[in-house]
Parts: sequence; C-alpha cells; structure tokens
Amino acid sequence: MVSLATGISGGLVRAGVPTPTDTSAWIGPAVAAHAFLMICTFMGTVIGIERAVAAKLSLAFLGPATSGLAGIALLAGWPTAAAWLVLGASIAFVGVNMLIVKRQTAAHTVLLLVGAIAWATGCVLHALGAQGGAVVPWWFAFLVLTIAAERLEMTRLMQRRRGSATALYLVFSLMFFGCAFAGLWPVAGGAAFGASLCMLAVWLLCFDIARRTVRAHGLSRYMAICLLLGYLWLLVAGSAWAATSLGWPLRDTALHALGLGFVFSMVLGHAPVILPAIARVKVLFGWAYYLPLSLLHGSLVVRLVGPWIDFHSVTWGAIGNAVAIGAFLATVAGSAAAWHFKHTTSRTSRHGLPAKH
Amino acid sequence: MNADNPAPYPYSGPDDMREPVLAALSRVVDPEVAMTIVDVGLVYGVDVTPGRLHVLLTMTSAACPVADVILDDVETELERVAPPEMTIDVELVWKPAWTTDRMSARAKSFMGW
Repeated sequence: MVSLATGISGGLVRAGVPTPTDTSAWIGPAVAAHAFLMICTFMGTVIGIERAVAAKLSLAFLGPATSGLAGIALLAGWPTAAAWLVLGASIAFVGVNMLIVKRQTAAHTVLLLVGAIAWATGCVLHALGAQGGAVVPWWFAFLVLTIAAERLEMTRLMQRRRGSATALYLVFSLMFFGCAFAGLWPVAGGAAFGASLCMLAVWLLCFDIARRTVRAHGLSRYMAICLLLGYLWLLVAGSAWAATSLGWPLRDTALHALGLGFVFSMVLGHAPVILPAIARVKVLFGWAYYLPLSLLHGSLVVRLVGPWIDFHSVTWGAIGNAVAIGAFLATVAGSAAAWHFKHTTSRTSRHGLPAKH
Repeated sequence: MNADNPAPYPYSGPDDMREPVLAALSRVVDPEVAMTIVDVGLVYGVDVTPGRLHVLLTMTSAACPVADVILDDVETELERVAPPEMTIDVELVWKPAWTTDRMSARAKSFMGW
C-alpha cells in the first residue's frame, strides 16, 4: 500500500502536479522510480502474495515480503538495495511458479512461469544499471503475461478454435523479441513489442470468456466489463507503443494506456474476488464498484486525448486517475464493511450458531 | 439447479440427502465464469456416511488463489443442509486433472459450444 500511494504521488508530480514546498524526503525517489514502485514493489508484491496463497506454502510469502521491503528501501533513499531486493523477490517468484508448473503442467501455468522470468530479467538489467528503455518492457511483459495466462486458463471453458493457440504463441514470441531488442535496437524492439500488445488485445477480444460472461449479472458482468474495457486500452497501448518507437510523441499514452487502462482495469475487476482470497476479507459487491471504474477510464481519456486539445489535460487526467484509484480503495473498504454489517446482523443459522464469516 | 442432469457426480449415501447436497453445491458460484461449481464439473464425488459428509473437489487451475474461498463457501452451504452432528469434510484433489468433458450441457451452452 505504501508503494501504491507513493508511486501514485511520484507519478502525479511527473504529470505536472505542483509539490507542496515542505515535501518530505521520499518524494524525490518516488518521482524518479515511478515505474519501479508501481510495477515491482506494488504489483509484484500483490501478485507474489496471490501466487503464495495458491501455492499454499508459507515460504512463498518471503518473495512478496522482500519486494514490499524494497519499496520502503527505495523511499528511504537506498535505490541500489531496493533494486537487489526486488531481484531477490523476482527470483523467489520464479521458484514458486516452477512449483506450480510441477503441480499442474499446462499452457497457462507455463505462461505464468514465463512471465515470472520476464520480471526477473528486467530486475537483473535494472540492478546492473540498464536504462529504463531496456528494463520497462520486461516489467510490463511480466504483468501482461501474468494476466494473459489467467485469461488463457479461462478460455479452456470455451471450445478451443483451431489455430488460436498457435496465434498466441506467435504473439508471445514477438513480445519477447520486442523486450530483448528494446535496448539494442529500440525502433524494431518497440515496434515489435507494440505490435504484440495489439495482437494480444485482438486475440483476447475474440477468444476471451468475457464475451460470454458480460451477459451474466452482478459481479460476473462487472468483471467482464472491466476485462473488455482493458482489452480496448491494450489495443491503444500497443498502437501508441509502436508509434512512439517510430518517433511519435505518444510515450505517456503507451505507458498509461497499458499500466492504467489495461493493468488497473484488471485489478479493479478482480479485487472483489482476490481480496477475500488473499486477505480473508469478504466484500459485498454492488453498483458502487462502477464509480471508480468510470472515473478511471474517463480520466484516462482526458489524460490521453486531452493533450491534443489542451496542454493541461495530462495533469488533470492524472489527478483523475489518482482519484479513481483512491475511490476504488474506498469502495473496497466500504464493501468489506457492508459485508461485515450484513452478516453480523443477519439471522442465525438453523443450527443455532452465528452465521459463519 | 441442474435439471439437465440429476446425477452430475458420483453420490453414495442416503437418498434423502442427495437433493439437498446437490442444491447446496449448486449455490456455490465462481463469479469469474458465472457458473456453479457443479456446472463446471469441479465436484468429483459426494459420500455421505453416518456422521460424515465427504466431498471431493478440484479446481481448474493449480495457480488459483481463490480455491480456499470456494472451499469455505462449499462448507458454509453444506452446513445449512447437513444435520448438526455431521462432520463436513471437503477435500481438494488435483488428480484426475479437470477437463472440459466434465462441464454440464448447460455450462457448454452458456460458453457457446
């Protein structure tokens, strides 16, 4: 949570929000390491916890504890220690994923392992001092592959169309080419990476079960909407990424369509299901969840389309993005409280015991 | 409910428990797929003996962090239909691996098969 809050703050400063004059010491590192905080110490920790819960292994929690600690180290002004801590966490994460593959060898578990390796690769480069352009594609590949793996697992419930698996492996090969050449041959690497994101978006829009579950109700429908909106932003992100490598000024669009539009939309969609799983906190889903979702996507449009109309839109859009995430956290907290209230005031079960929560 | 298949999983035990257990398990939904665990085919078997209600369950993915939540939900629903003195034992297994063959006709229809 510290990583999330400070990462967002650093991002806001970079987007042009003026800092208060008596800023505490952490804001400097937060600004410089926005990607590190958001991807490695925030998302890396959350995903690490998720995988540890699935593995049912206490030792597996060491990895996310380390990446969480790395966030604190960075803010305390120790970026080198933070980089090496995150590298350790990512290697531990690779280990946990190998265990999962051993338990169930399937396309999606192998893909999760590949995503873990992408994270570790980026962390090695970062710890050795490689510049952001060479590192960030690997970090994003970690997030994209992790999400794609889960969606691939879900698509097993639908009839597998011939050629769809092959198409997906081609997409991932292109993504890896893009990551590998991001530092050495930025134009080709960036174009390939961007193209792979676009192709993945099209694949997901065609084959993901969200096309079916969007016709359901309640939480299932909400999750599907989050997913489908995310896939549209993935398409935008891929196009912008490729365009940026070819010289267009679309770097902010590429990074935040991917990080906010795609990744955070996934987070918003899955929170009502994942939070009970990893924090043992049950939530009562309701229409309120649509508010931060609308705010996120609306503010993203302002941020990314606005600059072509009005120079200050990036700042206002970024503020909107931050407010959306804050609103989302408030919604989650509120829905947890609502669940608790509902279940402590409901009738006792027919066995005469208080309802279990 | 599973009107399309009265016996979606192997069941052994008293006849008067068959329907309530099926109804209870059919109330456990995986929101990501908008289907019940019975429709997806995650229930491998139910065995009711005096004093013990044993359910064999699997998940579609070993990387699934929500397995415990689903197990909790299964226990909660079974507690509503089981006699107070009965122990509820929900066991998570990974073999045989789940396949799409285990999906019910309704599940396949919803997924566009």
